[in-house]
Amino acid sequence: MHFGGIYEDEVVGKMYDRKLMRRFVRYIAPYRRLIWVVLVMLPIMAVTKLAQPWLLKSAIDNHIVTGKLEGLPLLAAGFLGLIFAESAVTFVEVYLLQYVGQKVMYDIRIELFAHIQRLSARFFDQTPVGSLVSRLTSDIEVLGEMFAAGIVTIVGDVMVLAGIVGIMLWMNVKLSLVTFSVLPLLIWVAFTFRNWMRVAFRQVRARLGNLSAFLAESLGGMMVVQLFNRERDEAREFRRLNESYRDANLPVITWDAALYAVVESLSSVAVALIIWYGGGEIVKETLSFGALVAFIQYIERFFSPIRDLSAKYSVMQGAMASLERIFGLLDKKEEEQEPARLLVSPPQAAAVAAAGGRRTPGSISFSDLWFAYHNEDYVLKGFSLEVKSGEKVALVGETGGGKTTVTRLLSRLYEINRGCISIDGTDIREMSLKSLRSRIGVVLQDPYLFTGTIAYNISLGDPEAAKRVERAAAVVGADRFIRQLPKGFDEEVRERGGNFSAGERQLISFARAVAFDPEILVLDEATASVDPASERLIQQGLEGLMEGRTTLVVAHRLSTIRDADRIVVIHRGEKAEEGTHAELLAAKGLYYRLYQLQFKE
Amino acid sequence: MQTCWGAYCVGVLLLVGTNACGLAIPWLLKLAIEGLQHPTPASLTPAQYGGLIAAAALIQGVVRVFSRTTMLNAGRRIEFLLREDLYQKLLTLDRPYFSAWRTGDILSRLANDLTNVRMLLGFGVLSLFNTVIVYSAAVFLMTRISPFLTLCAIGPFPVMVYIVKQMSASMFRRSKKMQEALSRLTSSVEENVSAAAVVKAYCREEGEVESFREVCASYLEASMGVAKLRGWMLPVMAATGALGTLVVLFVGGNMVIHRELTLGGFVAFNGYLAMLVWPTIMFGWILNMLQRGAASMARLGEILNAHPVVTDPAHPATDAVIEGEIEFRSLEFSYGQAPTLRGIDLKIPKGSRIGIVGVVGSGKSTLVRLIPRLFPVSDGQIFLDGVELNRIPLATLRAAVGFVPQESFLFSRSIGDNIAYGKPGATREDVERAAQIAGLAGDIARFPDGYDTLVGERGVALSGGQKQRVAIARALIKEPKILILDDPLSAVDADTEEEILRALSTYYGERTVLIVSHRLSPLRGCDRILVLEEGAIAEQGSHEELLAQGGRYAAIHREEQLKAEIEKL
Ligand SMILES: Nc1ncnc2c1ncn2[C@@H]1O[C@H](COP(=O)(O)OP(=O)(O)OP(=O)(O)O)[C@@H](O)[C@H]1O
Ligand SMILES: Nc1ncnc2c1ncn2[C@@H]1O[C@H](COP(=O)(O)OP(=O)(O)OP(=O)(O)O)[C@@H](O)[C@H]1O
Ligand SMILES: [Mg+2]
Ligand SMILES: [Mg+2]
Repeated sequence: MHFGGIYEDEVVGKMYDRKLMRRFVRYIAPYRRLIWVVLVMLPIMAVTKLAQPWLLKSAIDNHIVTGKLEGLPLLAAGFLGLIFAESAVTFVEVYLLQYVGQKVMYDIRIELFAHIQRLSARFFDQTPVGSLVSRLTSDIEVLGEMFAAGIVTIVGDVMVLAGIVGIMLWMNVKLSLVTFSVLPLLIWVAFTFRNWMRVAFRQVRARLGNLSAFLAESLGGMMVVQLFNRERDEAREFRRLNESYRDANLPVITWDAALYAVVESLSSVAVALIIWYGGGEIVKETLSFGALVAFIQYIERFFSPIRDLSAKYSVMQGAMASLERIFGLLDKKEEEQEPARLLVSPPQAAAVAAAGGRRTPGSISFSDLWFAYHNEDYVLKGFSLEVKSGEKVALVGETGGGKTTVTRLLSRLYEINRGCISIDGTDIREMSLKSLRSRIGVVLQDPYLFTGTIAYNISLGDPEAAKRVERAAAVVGADRFIRQLPKGFDEEVRERGGNFSAGERQLISFARAVAFDPEILVLDEATASVDPASERLIQQGLEGLMEGRTTLVVAHRLSTIRDADRIVVIHRGEKAEEGTHAELLAAKGLYYRLYQLQFKE
Repeated sequence: MQTCWGAYCVGVLLLVGTNACGLAIPWLLKLAIEGLQHPTPASLTPAQYGGLIAAAALIQGVVRVFSRTTMLNAGRRIEFLLREDLYQKLLTLDRPYFSAWRTGDILSRLANDLTNVRMLLGFGVLSLFNTVIVYSAAVFLMTRISPFLTLCAIGPFPVMVYIVKQMSASMFRRSKKMQEALSRLTSSVEENVSAAAVVKAYCREEGEVESFREVCASYLEASMGVAKLRGWMLPVMAATGALGTLVVLFVGGNMVIHRELTLGGFVAFNGYLAMLVWPTIMFGWILNMLQRGAASMARLGEILNAHPVVTDPAHPATDAVIEGEIEFRSLEFSYGQAPTLRGIDLKIPKGSRIGIVGVVGSGKSTLVRLIPRLFPVSDGQIFLDGVELNRIPLATLRAAVGFVPQESFLFSRSIGDNIAYGKPGATREDVERAAQIAGLAGDIARFPDGYDTLVGERGVALSGGQKQRVAIARALIKEPKILILDDPLSAVDADTEEEILRALSTYYGERTVLIVSHRLSPLRGCDRILVLEEGAIAEQGSHEELLAQGGRYAAIHREEQLKAEIEKL
């Protein structure tokens, strides 16, 4: 079975190399001093390397051949010194390059992570977790490989190359030209291969992303897989993705090997050309024999940096493909829109302090909301609702009716298609997201717990909320089970709260909303997994707390909303009924029907 | 793995071939130059020599391509097989195992650690052989000039081996630490992205970036630990090579002076020694790769060598036919130290319906999870149709149990595929019937894409109630003997609930059904209701009996009714 196009990570489009590189260089720029140190050390290293044969030569010529041993220890000492110098320089260079590489990766990683934080809920709806994980980890790791391969030393290679070209031209222009005649071929190969390699590398990265997306999901649903005996099908799908990843790598290997071989062969061909041409010249006696031998030696030196460069070339192509993906994500424009001009947000805290700790809770107005998750497929159709300051309003109605959607729009997780939501008369689109969301405390329908302690899960590391952890837990009645745990509030929470029961998870996530002490409380099925007795305790606990807060409650269990000031019935995205409990019962409409169903005996 | 050994052997042969061509070229060169120096009628023209060299170069190139691709592909193939094995293993691991792991950790091992292992097996092995070949060739040529001098030249190498060995152990440790840090980093990304809704709702973006920064910093530090060591390894290698030269200079120089060695021999010897410099440095790289690969392999081994507790029985009851009778015999269960279930004694006859209620954390989910063996129980505590649970083959057991977990997990496929997941080869009619019973047909009809609507990861594109009903439909389509519903209607409204319950009551038929619920309405029609309290059965009986008993169940009932009364006022 092929599970459709869900795990098909996009193959990020082509970007121009120059642009890509220029952009990447911006990340290196802060470390240019270190790069300079490396660059300055390159000639030093070259000198220590070149001086060794020279010392050797002078040892042979001046001492060994003549049998004169006096100066030899001095030379040996010099030789030893050079060895140490070379070691030290090599170490510093390797270390610095890795350091810069790691720092650059660190910076990019943080920037990418921060960028992801700003992306919209819509983006997260559509992007598999595993594929984001792979961008932030393996794609960035590839950049590290580039530094480890000594990409900066390319500069050194190029310098050496230029020097040798100069010497060769100076020695013999004709022979040089014969040698260089293989270069156009080499350059042509390198450029053609670059495109092929890049295409292959793009596939590699995208398929690794798919694999990771599939794996992440599969790990999350392992229990379901096993419960339904579907291990074999999952394994088959995994094999398909794994094969496609393996196969994507094969062209990369082939191009890489081919490039390596071409460079190696061309260097031999160049020698052959020189023999053929130079041999003729010697026969014609226009070329000295020594010059030919020396020239052949230089060809060796000429090709050695080229070989070096070609080895780095494919690493670089891989890194470029990763860069495309990283920048592609950084360029994702689906960011949450902050208002152009901030009308509101006088620092809330200051206002509260001025009011002597009491504040007036916000009034909310939804007017003629139209909203669709996809195109024209409206989930809310002209929904309007006024919630007065301090009021408690309940949203009830058929499942899939759009209740959760209303609460999401209030927090501006999605942009409204038409209509307007305002708090205290201000359009929420004119508030900064932070000031808007910090006024609202939401208990999400699907509670999510982080790995960490219970206390952390309630406060989420917010210092203000941290002070209220225990009280918040007490309000929702979570402290009863928490105190029974060996470590109480410091008990470890495993991934997604796996070591707690569903009800306990819900209570913790409820306590979180209370601890943040918001002026607007949104409870989306906050007690759906809690038993009636505990629910009553929560309601009692909340009673005092609700005062001075505007509350929106979504619930299927009508008993949960018995003390709401007003009840709104949402049916297929529209407001079907509105009124107090008694009014709605008297109206004998949808609410009446739900009520009868729930309490018939 | 067998085929990979073959590939490595072929690769080595090809490597020898390409290196032989490589050595042939200088030899041809020598002939060519000699030919130019002393032209004899027998010698070839320069053009012919050039042609020969070019031919050798061509062969060398072609063989080079094959040698590299053979070996690197072998590395890729092993990576493929390893990844396959790892995933196969993961599929057999149980909940107790996974609960100790973070998803990001496993993801990181299967991506980053596997990469290290692949590097070792592909590029590492290739370089190793290449190095060994070049090394042996050079050493062979050196011994032909002077065995004694050769011994002197490679004298410093044992010292190097010793130093490198010291470093290796440290490299292993540091690499492991680095990979662990990378795992942590992956985990925090995974968690952050999964929790995007919470992060946004509570404005935790800055806090998250802050803590991510810390995780990245610790990874940076661990990486630099490796980099530092790697920085040392290369110069140590290079220095050893150079020390060899120094020794040769002295000893060889003396030999030349005492006429034990010709000057030409000495120079040639030095030339070969120079050939060793690069492979020696390469050797440093390989050792580095070896240690990193070994550290990563050890981490992969932690998955490969894991032993699930819930396994297929060693002596399965092959003739077990599950009809649906369940029996608990003084069942005790605990996740850790504190007991979660205590002394459960219960016989559920085939075809009966059992309701389970109880306060939050009383052990309801735990009890029902034990039936499909999501968690291990010791022998002699649970029996299905008289057969000890642990002796029933897992596939048989799980085929007989339909399970709706308390938290619905959906795959990011279409609604239709998600429902059909319960029954391999399900037809469209099967899917529609299951959706009908689960009260989902109306919703699906309203979706523009109908059954092909993609539900997003974990079902994000569905409402809470829709998700829950897809999970119900997925279990129903399986037509199991035993149906377990863990709080199945917590997210649906009374109207839909009524509809589903009505459809379910005809579906139940001969099946044994266990329903966990906080609300009492889904328990209508249950033959027996259990009230759990702190892991023990506090009350049991039919709805009427329990009401008459006036205990906890009656209190829950009163609670619900009381609220209704208040509302009536
Ligand atoms: N992220 C999303 N992307 C696309 N469609 C969505 C998304 N979330 C919800 N929907 C669709 O919008 C509709 C309304 O969903 P919503 O979650 O608001 O319902 P609800 O009233 O909260 O239902 P429930 O009581 O079941 O929780 C549903 O048909 C659902 O499929
Ligand atoms: N995987 C686990 N590891 C450790 N402890 C666990 C695990 N799962 C549950 N527990 C603990 O075991 C107890 C019983 O949990 P269980 O999920 O069975 O409760 P429940 O009756 O289903 O509650 P709820 O009504 O909230 O669903 C709880 O105290 C819970 O914290
Ligand atoms: Mg909802
Ligand atoms: Mg439960």
